[in-house]
Amino acid sequence: MIYKILVVDDESAVRELFEDLFKKEGYSVKTVATGEESLKLVEKEDFDAVLMDVKLTGITGLEALKKIKDLKPEIIVIMITGFGYDEELISKSKEYGSAGYIGKNVPISRIISSFNLFVKTAKEKNRRK
Amino acid sequence: MNLLKTIYNAIDKANSLIFYCDSKGEVLMCNKKFEDIVGMSKDLIVGSDCISIIYKRLRNSLSREQIFKAMLNDALKYKRPSSFEILIPDKKGEDRLIYWRINPILTKNKNLQGVLFMGDDNTSHREKEASLNNIDQTLKNIILNIKEYALYTINLDGNITYYGMGAEDMFGWKRSEIIFKHIKALHSYDDISYKLNFMLEQVKKTGRYELETYFIKKDGQSFPVSLTVTKFIDSAGDTTGYIFMAKDITERKKLEYQVFQSEKLAAMGQLVAGIAHEINNPAFVISGRTEILLKTKGLNKELRSGLKAINLQVDQIRRLVDRFLTFSRKSIPTTRELDINKIIRDVLPLLRYHKLPSNEIKINKVFAKNILKIRGDSHQLQEVFVNLFINAYQAMKEGGTLTIKTINKSNEYLLIFISDTGCGIPPLALKNLFLPFYSSKKEGTGLGLSICYNIIKNHSGSITVESQVGKGTTFIIKLPFVKKGDSNDL
Repeated sequence: MIYKILVVDDESAVRELFEDLFKKEGYSVKTVATGEESLKLVEKEDFDAVLMDVKLTGITGLEALKKIKDLKPEIIVIMITGFGYDEELISKSKEYGSAGYIGKNVPISRIISSFNLFVKTAKEKNRRK
Repeated sequence: MNLLKTIYNAIDKANSLIFYCDSKGEVLMCNKKFEDIVGMSKDLIVGSDCISIIYKRLRNSLSREQIFKAMLNDALKYKRPSSFEILIPDKKGEDRLIYWRINPILTKNKNLQGVLFMGDDNTSHREKEASLNNIDQTLKNIILNIKEYALYTINLDGNITYYGMGAEDMFGWKRSEIIFKHIKALHSYDDISYKLNFMLEQVKKTGRYELETYFIKKDGQSFPVSLTVTKFIDSAGDTTGYIFMAKDITERKKLEYQVFQSEKLAAMGQLVAGIAHEINNPAFVISGRTEILLKTKGLNKELRSGLKAINLQVDQIRRLVDRFLTFSRKSIPTTRELDINKIIRDVLPLLRYHKLPSNEIKINKVFAKNILKIRGDSHQLQEVFVNLFINAYQAMKEGGTLTIKTINKSNEYLLIFISDTGCGIPPLALKNLFLPFYSSKKEGTGLGLSICYNIIKNHSGSITVESQVGKGTTFIIKLPFVKKGDSNDL
């Protein structure tokens, strides 16, 4: 199945990397640099999943996550961060309804596999509901 | 006649002892006060020798009697007024201190008619002075026994005039070794000897000088003190000497240092987290890009090995960044009730996975029986022990003994001692030991011990270190026990 993914990261190099990676996986990918832009796009279009960086300019990734889930509760949001494993961020992300949390400190191949796993689990969860 | 009576009445009722005697010393008249003190009536006194009346031939008053006699003879011979203070016995036999003024009364021809004695009873004044002396003595005792402060005084020449017990304790010099020596002898190794003139100038001007400095004991040990210097002033307002009061502030400095240390660590943590994040992003992109490229089919050999090398190096950067993040993280440990003995036993076999110098190390485990559980994160604590054990191994390049000791301390906390018999840590390095990026090892990042410090702190514990160069190092970890009523496992 082909997912439609939105990548939110303020670093263009990171956006491009994810775009290439997910396209290789066969996904359809869109990218934006800020939380505000992601909100606008989510409102207009339907995505299967959003990969959201925690540290953004403007509203933070956590704030954007909260707003997206308010807007479209069924959307799967996975948080990604350069801060690595962080208890506080993880518990906040969970509280705001993210489906998973990935640190940028793991190998790329593992990021993709984690992402796939999170999406799959969340999809099943949604279906059961 | 009336006037004479009035005068006589006034003399009789005066508060001074008054008597008048002739040139032989025989009493011609006396007043009531004199009667009262000597405890005899007028008719017995008049006509008697004044000295025998006053001293009644008391045995112990012989020398006083002679002095009195001498004063009287002096007055009789030289016919000039004089005064003196002397003890006389009163009617109860108690000593009274009387200040006598002797007035020889002369005729117009300058012949001696008689001698008028007027005495003031100064006994109560003297009692007050005596009690003041007592207060002085009490104060002296208090000051002598003050041990929290070192108290010593110098005169204007700089010689030590007083040196209390507190000072003996603080400096290690005995009173007999230092008293009346110049103050520079006491401060021969510390800064005070250079600052002395300046300090005393300041005290002269403003009355007081305070500073924090280091003193050096007789045995060469240095310690921090807060020193206050004030001055003695005489009744004319002139400075007659200086008072030094010093307090050992080692404990306070230790606390200040700990606060400073943890603040510094917190600030470093933030800085490191920021830097790590900034490095992580580009490293992440480089790593991702090389991974993608490596998956390209038909990649030539040279490109492939180049990409692999890049990937390997970038991975190293990312691992380093990950260490930084571990250090900076203020994560709350995922806590469980733990048996520290077991954790240590589990960690020891892991050591062989680390690149350790191949030396003969004997491991000596002295574990507490019935060890009480502590609450903590087993992975984080494992990291602490791995770090400390590796350090111990690296310190014992020539081989030695690693002693691991656990002690239940009075149901309150667990003590863990990790001692090596290695090279030891020089004092300067010891001071900075838990600071991040401080490493004495070529291969170290300087994060190991600061991570340990943070982890133990997050466990509401403490970690301290004692070391002697050439003898070895001991780390002491204190972790609180699980208290009854604590929440269950997470």
